[in-house]
Amino acid sequence: MAGTRSDVQLTRRRMAWSRHLDTVPWWLVIVLAAGALVLFSMLSNERYVNALSYLIRGVRLTVFISVVSYLVALVLGLIAGLGRVSRNKLINTIATLYVEVVRGVPLLVIIIYAHYVVAPFLGTNRQPVFSGIMALSFGYGAYLAEVFRAGIESIERGQGEAARSLGMSYRQSMRYIILPQAIRRVLPPLGNDFVAMLKDSSLVSAIAISELTKLGQIEAARTFDTFRTYNAVAFLYLTLTLILSLGVRYLERISSVGRR
Amino acid sequence: MDGDEIITIEHVSKQYGKLRALDDVSLGVRRGEVMMIIGPSGSGKSTLLRCINHLEVPDSGHVVVDGVEVNEERGNINAVRAEVGMVFQRFELFPHLSVLDNICLAQQQVRQRSRRESEAVAKDLLDKVGIPEKITAYPAQLSGGQQQRVAIARALAMQPKVMLFDEPTSALDPEMIKEVLDVMVDLAAEGMTMVVVSHEMGFARNAAHRVVFMADGKIVEQGPPEDLFGAPQHERTKLFLSRILH
Repeated sequence: MAGTRSDVQLTRRRMAWSRHLDTVPWWLVIVLAAGALVLFSMLSNERYVNALSYLIRGVRLTVFISVVSYLVALVLGLIAGLGRVSRNKLINTIATLYVEVVRGVPLLVIIIYAHYVVAPFLGTNRQPVFSGIMALSFGYGAYLAEVFRAGIESIERGQGEAARSLGMSYRQSMRYIILPQAIRRVLPPLGNDFVAMLKDSSLVSAIAISELTKLGQIEAARTFDTFRTYNAVAFLYLTLTLILSLGVRYLERISSVGRR
Repeated sequence: MDGDEIITIEHVSKQYGKLRALDDVSLGVRRGEVMMIIGPSGSGKSTLLRCINHLEVPDSGHVVVDGVEVNEERGNINAVRAEVGMVFQRFELFPHLSVLDNICLAQQQVRQRSRRESEAVAKDLLDKVGIPEKITAYPAQLSGGQQQRVAIARALAMQPKVMLFDEPTSALDPEMIKEVLDVMVDLAAEGMTMVVVSHEMGFARNAAHRVVFMADGKIVEQGPPEDLFGAPQHERTKLFLSRILH
């Protein structure tokens, strides 16, 4: 009898262990281990060290451009998203035009357009970073508008009706009832678009902004070591996007707490 | 309940594609009256109720609430709605707000009450519906019956002149129906004007002054509950009652 009981306990303990193993994010463990390995071998190689120390300035600019563009795109996207669900024909038409036209044009074309057409017109053509931010936020604003629209439309109609039946105006019901729920619901896609924008910020290398990709091009041209330089570039991008993805997951987790 | 008419519905029609949801309906509700609307599904009873606070816009006809024409320009619609409380089948509490905030939000935003004043009103009403201990809870933490009682408190916080109930117990488990009906019966006893779309016969017998039977977008017959249930005049009514009373 005693033997049977300890067998049961042993099995239980094993089951508990395997349950623990199931909750481990294995992809992350592998990526972190591989990343540490790659970083270690890079740091023990002088050519990689040189490349990385040169590229690190580009990381700062990449992050700056991405963060600023994303914040502006959030504002643009929210306004356009609200326009897309508006029953006002004029507002709705303008918002739809913006979304459909911008989504149909490659981001690279928008960036070139911003720098060589719009910037001279505004007199800012000596600041390519400004052009880049302008183009990225304008382009991503259209994507985010659709995310916001989908979020707003995903809120049950009864919520708006309940708010309106209490005498709240359209604006009040949007602000206090619909948007807070919609934004919580679209946090994951918003986060994904931030990761996507960080990668697409490499496109502004086309207008001579010395962000990560552009510095990679310069360094590769100088050292003729395309392989190692772009390994380093890819490594740095991957580090940035992985940190962001983890942040997005965390946001997802805390925003789903207390939800029905 | 011998007051003047607080809700006047005149020749209201509403069409959804080919379906005639409301067909030239006229109906008056007196101040203090408790009216129940019954009828088979698709008879237009919910549509009629929703026309009263303009959640549905009639194709033709007039709806007047407390002297204000509801059908016209948008300017007055929020003012009318603030005077007409509504309780929904699926509660429609705001899931991102606590019970307290659910009850306070419209008081502050629409009635311009201070936070303290709104909280005092909310506490009184939660006592009244019997769940004062749930004040800091979130809707997802409440049972269906509790959610519906909070929804009633939320509507009452606006101090409405009329309360509309759109099948308030249809989404509830049987053992929770009574707690909601008790609150409604109390409300009726206090003299609140109520229009209730529901098939709860208990409520009809205990609280309703008049029962209206609708079918196919029309009012077939109406009268005091004892007459309508005891001696229905129309075949359509008899058939319906025989089905729901078993």
